Amino acid sequence: MCGVAGIAQVAPTGVPLEQLARMAAAIHHRGPDGYGYFTSSRVGLAHLRLSIIDLAGGAQPMASEDGQVVISYNGEVYNYRELAAELKAMGHRFRTVSDTEVLLVAYEAWGTDMLPRLNGQFAFAIWDGRKRQLLLVRDRFGVRPMFLAQSGGDLCFASEVKALFASGRVTPRPDPEGLDEIFTFWGARPPRTPFLGVEALEPGSYAIWQDGRLRRQRYYHLDYPEARLEPADAIARLDHLMRTGVDLRMRADVPVGGYLSGGLDSSITCSLAAAASPHQLRTFSISFDDPRFDESEFQRQVARSVGSLHAVERISGHSIAASFPDAVRHTETPLVRTAPVPMYLLAKLTRERGIKVVLTGEGADELFLGYDLFKEVLVRRFCLRQPGSKWRPRLFDRLYPYLAEGSKGGEFWQRSFLDAGRPDDPLFSHMPRILLTSRIKEFYTPEFAGEAARGEPLQKLRDELPARFQEWSPVNQAAYLEMVTLLSPYLLCSQGDRVGMAHAVEGRFPFLDHRLYEFASALPVGSRLHGLKEKYILKRWASTLIPREVTERHKQPYRAPDAPSFFAPDAPAYVAEMLDPATVKALGYFNPAGIEGLVRRCRSGRALGFRENQALVAVLSTHVWHTTFMRQPSVVPALDPAGADVLLREPAPVDTQPLAG
Amino acid sequence: MTEREILERTRKFINDSFLYMRPGFVLGDNDKLMEKGVVDSMGVMEVMEFLESEFGVTPADDEITEANLGTLASIARFVALKKNGASA
Repeated sequence: MCGVAGIAQVAPTGVPLEQLARMAAAIHHRGPDGYGYFTSSRVGLAHLRLSIIDLAGGAQPMASEDGQVVISYNGEVYNYRELAAELKAMGHRFRTVSDTEVLLVAYEAWGTDMLPRLNGQFAFAIWDGRKRQLLLVRDRFGVRPMFLAQSGGDLCFASEVKALFASGRVTPRPDPEGLDEIFTFWGARPPRTPFLGVEALEPGSYAIWQDGRLRRQRYYHLDYPEARLEPADAIARLDHLMRTGVDLRMRADVPVGGYLSGGLDSSITCSLAAAASPHQLRTFSISFDDPRFDESEFQRQVARSVGSLHAVERISGHSIAASFPDAVRHTETPLVRTAPVPMYLLAKLTRERGIKVVLTGEGADELFLGYDLFKEVLVRRFCLRQPGSKWRPRLFDRLYPYLAEGSKGGEFWQRSFLDAGRPDDPLFSHMPRILLTSRIKEFYTPEFAGEAARGEPLQKLRDELPARFQEWSPVNQAAYLEMVTLLSPYLLCSQGDRVGMAHAVEGRFPFLDHRLYEFASALPVGSRLHGLKEKYILKRWASTLIPREVTERHKQPYRAPDAPSFFAPDAPAYVAEMLDPATVKALGYFNPAGIEGLVRRCRSGRALGFRENQALVAVLSTHVWHTTFMRQPSVVPALDPAGADVLLREPAPVDTQPLAG
Repeated sequence: MTEREILERTRKFINDSFLYMRPGFVLGDNDKLMEKGVVDSMGVMEVMEFLESEFGVTPADDEITEANLGTLASIARFVALKKNGASA
């Protein structure tokens, strides 16, 4: 796991090393174990290394034997040993035992046809000097990031946006349409980002730059070829996929630890990891001062059951407020929840305890229909078939016992689900969440609202749905939407890669093994969501593996304290500054009178619901984000090439001028 | 307390809680709160907490209906009846 950055330019005047060195410095946190550069007449690559596999031989950028093909690679290809064996059988030779070289050789052997063969989480750049083309690739689900920006025919790319700005070639500017997507879905959907002119490479796709032209191509498509009946060997296949998925992700030349949430998914990954680990597994958890969010008891129970050495990061409102600006700087986006902050602090603890690779349960809820949203789809459709029924809507109370209890929302509470979208709308499943999140937009200034609305995020999403979408069952449609609107744009970025890599901690996700995804998406929905029992097949399989209390408890969504964290007496000074009417007016996103009212209500403890809590987090994070990226100088001290582990220079072709820099 | 007083106090609460970010918005006595996007399901709970603390009126489960709580006018009518001890 590492950081990558680079520049491709039309004029063969040499890519300045100085620019690459500044880009590298901006994302040094991703790879503190070493760095390297490659420069040539048209292309330059930088690499920040977090050494995990082949500690001695895996330095990058790495060139092919003849120096014509060069790679800078972030991530893991778990089946690199199998691929290496296949390539050796074809006559290819290897100089190292690193996965990086396997990718390089695989590219030489198969070109982009290698991509479907890779099992892993990766984002990489390969410069092919013979074809004079640059290949940028991102993994199937978007675990690892890759951002790019074009100017004329030139291209800058990097693992994080801040590196693009550090190059001096890209100017930070907000994109109102990207921001509007965040206030619709929680995150901007790739290729959109909150920055104008900055594009996120879409998960499961690659881009080829050649002579100033950029061509994008998808190599992986999400699909739900649902079987009518559960195959007789489904449990056996699930067992095989889970065990091999974890075993592959234990491949590392450093100890692998695990995050433990107290829920089913991370209990499974930690159990299997503990069994596969050559030493006592280290596990890490978040606990909250606020008992409404805390799951410590279940975490300790699982840690005992797997025999791990367990460490806990205790989160208070104060720690959330104190680290919020750092989390925004790393996520590079406005947020509507504070949930990335505890994950940021958990990665810090993990790194302090000497662990740089962790397995987590991410992806299980999407694959095995764990979220309440999937049940909600079934219940909403069931109710809408008999709109006059008095008793059908009572199922909503069963669905959300932790919300409905004591709240007595009655008819209104039920109606909010039934009024949110029509069943023939492809976005039906997600409309309650979208409508709730969109209430943030009530705070827009009229000017910003006008610019933001041009993006039409809902219509755009509808227009971009794959042709097969209509053939999928309603729950599978919801599962697809969850992957493309929340998992890739938000969970894997703001709660995943960015907050982990802030401390050079690599998350590995056994549930996001594409073989497991393809297995799960081909199962009947009933195998995954049985009546209103979520993750049905997963629980049946796991029943002998983990404590019964864990499989049988009602899932608690991961949530962190929101607005009150920022209004305690010891709140950091930036909060008042960022919410000050003068700041609100100067930045122009939100209307000052509205924010004054919001702050007043938060300060007096009257802003209790999601509606105002998310608005406060959105406003605060937008202002922190704007101030961090739009107002601070993008010039950072370069990461000195003299200290690089690798410094490759390609001899300039005859038709080019001498290298600059 | 008259129905009009209840209505105006409720209007002030709704304005302070749900409409402070929409300064030009005028809420009519018979405007439907949910249809107009003023109050959502979570908001209904806030309204009920207000009725309880301000007027000492706690709607029973089967009273949480559009007919009783759907508009400013219906809320005022419902609260007035409850306070007078009559069934709403």
